[in-house]
Order: sequence, then structure tokens, then C-alpha cells
Amino acid sequence: MKSKISTNKRLRKTWWGYPRENGDVGSRNYLLILSGTLYANPTCERVARTLRHSIAITHPLGRCQIAPDLERTFETLVGHGQNANAGAVIVIDHHREEGCTSDEIAHEIAKTGKRVEAINIRESGGAIESTAKATRIGMEMLRDLSTELRQEVPLSKLLLGLNCGTSDTTSGLSHNKATGWVTDNVIKAGGRALLAETTEMMGGEGVLADKCVKPQHGKRIWNMVQEMEDRILACGVDLRGSQPTGDNMEGGLTTIEEKSLGAIQKAGNAPIVDVIPWAKRASKKSGLHVMDTPGHGGESITGIAAGGSQVLIFSTGGGHTINHPLMNTIRITGNPLSAKLQRDTTDVEVTDIFEGTPIEVAGRRVYDEVIDVASGKMTKAEILHEDNAFAINRCGPSV
Amino acid sequence: MTVTAMIIEKGDHVATCLSKVKKGDKVKLMINGKTGKTIKANSAIPYIHKICISSISKGEHCMKYGLSIGIATKNIEVGDYIHVHNIESARGRGDLEV
Repeated sequence: MKSKISTNKRLRKTWWGYPRENGDVGSRNYLLILSGTLYANPTCERVARTLRHSIAITHPLGRCQIAPDLERTFETLVGHGQNANAGAVIVIDHHREEGCTSDEIAHEIAKTGKRVEAINIRESGGAIESTAKATRIGMEMLRDLSTELRQEVPLSKLLLGLNCGTSDTTSGLSHNKATGWVTDNVIKAGGRALLAETTEMMGGEGVLADKCVKPQHGKRIWNMVQEMEDRILACGVDLRGSQPTGDNMEGGLTTIEEKSLGAIQKAGNAPIVDVIPWAKRASKKSGLHVMDTPGHGGESITGIAAGGSQVLIFSTGGGHTINHPLMNTIRITGNPLSAKLQRDTTDVEVTDIFEGTPIEVAGRRVYDEVIDVASGKMTKAEILHEDNAFAINRCGPSV
Repeated sequence: MTVTAMIIEKGDHVATCLSKVKKGDKVKLMINGKTGKTIKANSAIPYIHKICISSISKGEHCMKYGLSIGIATKNIEVGDYIHVHNIESARGRGDLEV
């Protein structure tokens, strides 16, 4: 059946989203129940289970982390609260963690103008009392959120996330190529895209550096790949088996260089206008932005969501169940076997590229899905609550 | 049986086989949607794995996308199966540190 939303023959340059006070636009209007520390996770989950249209983001961190790590956790949580897909936010923490309290997180989120409440479990009188308090506040927030309507906005309001996973040799030939076509056309229409996965730039860093508008960004790409490789070398092991992974090699990828050259096809031919660290908010400049993240899919897309992406294309060779709880994750594949085996979590197939369908035809299909999902169409994983990919990157030990 | 294999850039050493290849199968090479010459597979090649389309000497870079994807650990002939048994990565090799 033809999609009800995509009726236009021409490439659409607008989408329908929820405008926020700070100018950002959400593709969803969730109430986000954000956990400040692992000891608040069950309370967050209880609240989210009770409230329709709310989602919980939980994690094992927020305590006993060395300063740079705690800062990373803090920035990631703030970035998710600030992400335009959260219409309102309740942050819950347990006791007090210097530098990462619910008050401090809420304070940063409130700068967007959206409604945010901080709830401390201890000060609220315990797990049940804090659950009741958050549930009652959340109910009122949702009453307000439910009156908001989607509005037509230009593509300049979209930050399209790009990530691949369980890559194989079909990645560089099909779905990453189709993604690259989408990247180019979103940017041509004034939008932004965010490329990540530093490990998977190894061997292709020169290609990316050449796309940078400013030479210092090219230099930063070379440096961040070198830093990643130095960290790997310092472990004194062969990267093979970790990157490429076992399933990458089963899919025919022989080396990290080969995997990288396939992965960077997602960048298309667009100019790179900025290079940013993990989980930092992307600037408003139209063009391709690059974020320094590991190849680990969950960590990489969590960084992208904290950077402000509302919708992500996740292109996969082997098929994938990955889905970010807040950022809409569209899974696409060009591998005919994977499309069959992982059909329950594949949103768009571009397998016909191997039967001669031109990249622009397959790319157009993915582009339409991006506009549709940004405008409200649910992804398969969203329907299935396949919310598995919130993972905070770490740089130090637990202390 | 005839199998199709896709070449990415002119000058690449490898093509990706679009279906499983048996030893002796004819492999039809394709680039930019156009069919070119046919080569014979010297061994079985799994689904979507690579076949050598121009010989590589031991120690030479193996090219795909017009760039190096690693170094040949032995001489590789046209029609040979290419994977971890004859190409190794030049990056992230902490095991080779002195």
C-alpha cells in the first residue's frame, strides 16, 4: 500500500514536527523520564510504565566516575534532555552526586525553554513517594504536550544522524551508498547530517579530510583517528576480531580499512563543515558534521542523539535490532539475505541495487522514509519498544 | 554456473561476488552497471566475499574503492578467493609492536 504521507512526486523539502521555544523541532513529542544515576533507574521505569507517551532513559553510570568521565555522563544526559524529541523532561536522581545531580542536569535542559522537573528520591521520601510525585507531575505535563500540534518546517530544522552496523561487503555497494545520496539531498535542501564512528574512518580519513571546508577540521579528523589508533595500539593486541568484528568478517570484510571505506560512503559528496567531540551539540551550519565516537553502535548513536539528531539512518549489512529510545532509528539494508532474516526490524530495503536499480532510486526511497518518520511515521523498532541503544561512552575506570 | 561480481573502482584488485561461488564457476565482472569480462574461480567463495580480478604480489597493497584495504601476505592470482587468509590489515596492529 502506498504511504499516506508521501504523496508528492517531487523531493519534499519540508517535514512536520513539534517546534520548540529555542527554534529546534522535534520529530516526536515524548515526555522523557531521565535517570541521573543507576540507582534511580527502577523509579524512572515505574513512572514511564505508568504514563502513556513517556519513555525512560536509564544507564549504569552517574556515580564514582573520574571527572572527565562524569562530565561525559552529564553532557550525554543533558544532550538527551535538550534533544527536541523530548517535549518535557523529568530528571530523577537518588541522593547527591557532585557534578551530576538531577538539579544540575535539569538546570541545563531548562535553557531550551522546555518544561523540566528534577526529583530526588531521598528528598521525596523514598522510592514509592518519588514515583508518585513524578507520575503526578508527568501526567500534567502529558496533558499539555498532547495539545501541541505538528507544524510544517523546512529541512534546515533536521539534523539527520548517520550510522552503520554489522557491516558487510554489501554496505559500501548498496545501503551506505543510498544513505550518502540522502545525505547529499538533505544538505542540498538546507539540512544537516551528522557522521560518526571514528574507528571506521581508519583507512578512509584522507577521503574525509579532503571534504572539509576548513583545513583545521581536516587536521582534526586525522588527529582523532590517530588518537583512536594509538589507544588500540596501547592495548598491545591485533584489532582484527574487534574491528572488523566476527560478523563483519563472515560478511566478507577482511580489514578495518575495507570496512571504513564502505562506512564513509554514508557521507556522500557533501562538504564537512564541522568536527565535534563526543555528545557535543552540533552547530546550526548546513552541511555535514562529524562527531568523534567509537565504532560501538550503541555508544555512537547515543553521542549522535546527544548532539541533537532527531532521526537517524542506521544502515546495516547483517541486519540489526538497534534502536535509540529517543531518536528515531530507521534501519535499512541492501543485503537480500539479511532483509529476509531481519525483516522484523528492517524499515527500508535497498536490495534491488544488486538487480541494477540506480542508487538515486533506492536513495529516494530512504529519503522519503526519513521525511515520513520525521513527520510521525513509526519505525518498526519504535512499535516493538526495541529501545536497546542508550550507551554512554567512557574514557576512564570506575573509582 | 555463472555468478556476477561487482567492481567498485577501475583499477581495483577485487570484485564482490553477489552469490556463492563454486570452484571452476564462471564469474562475470560488472562495473557501474555494465558487464565486462568473465573470469574463472580457482576455489569456492562464500556469498558476498571477494574474488581477485588482477594479480597481487606478496607485500603489495590490495586496492578496493581505489584505495588500500590491506597488504597481501602471499602472491594472489586472478580468480583466487581474497580474505583474511591472504590479506592483512596495516592498521591498529598492536600485536606487531616492538
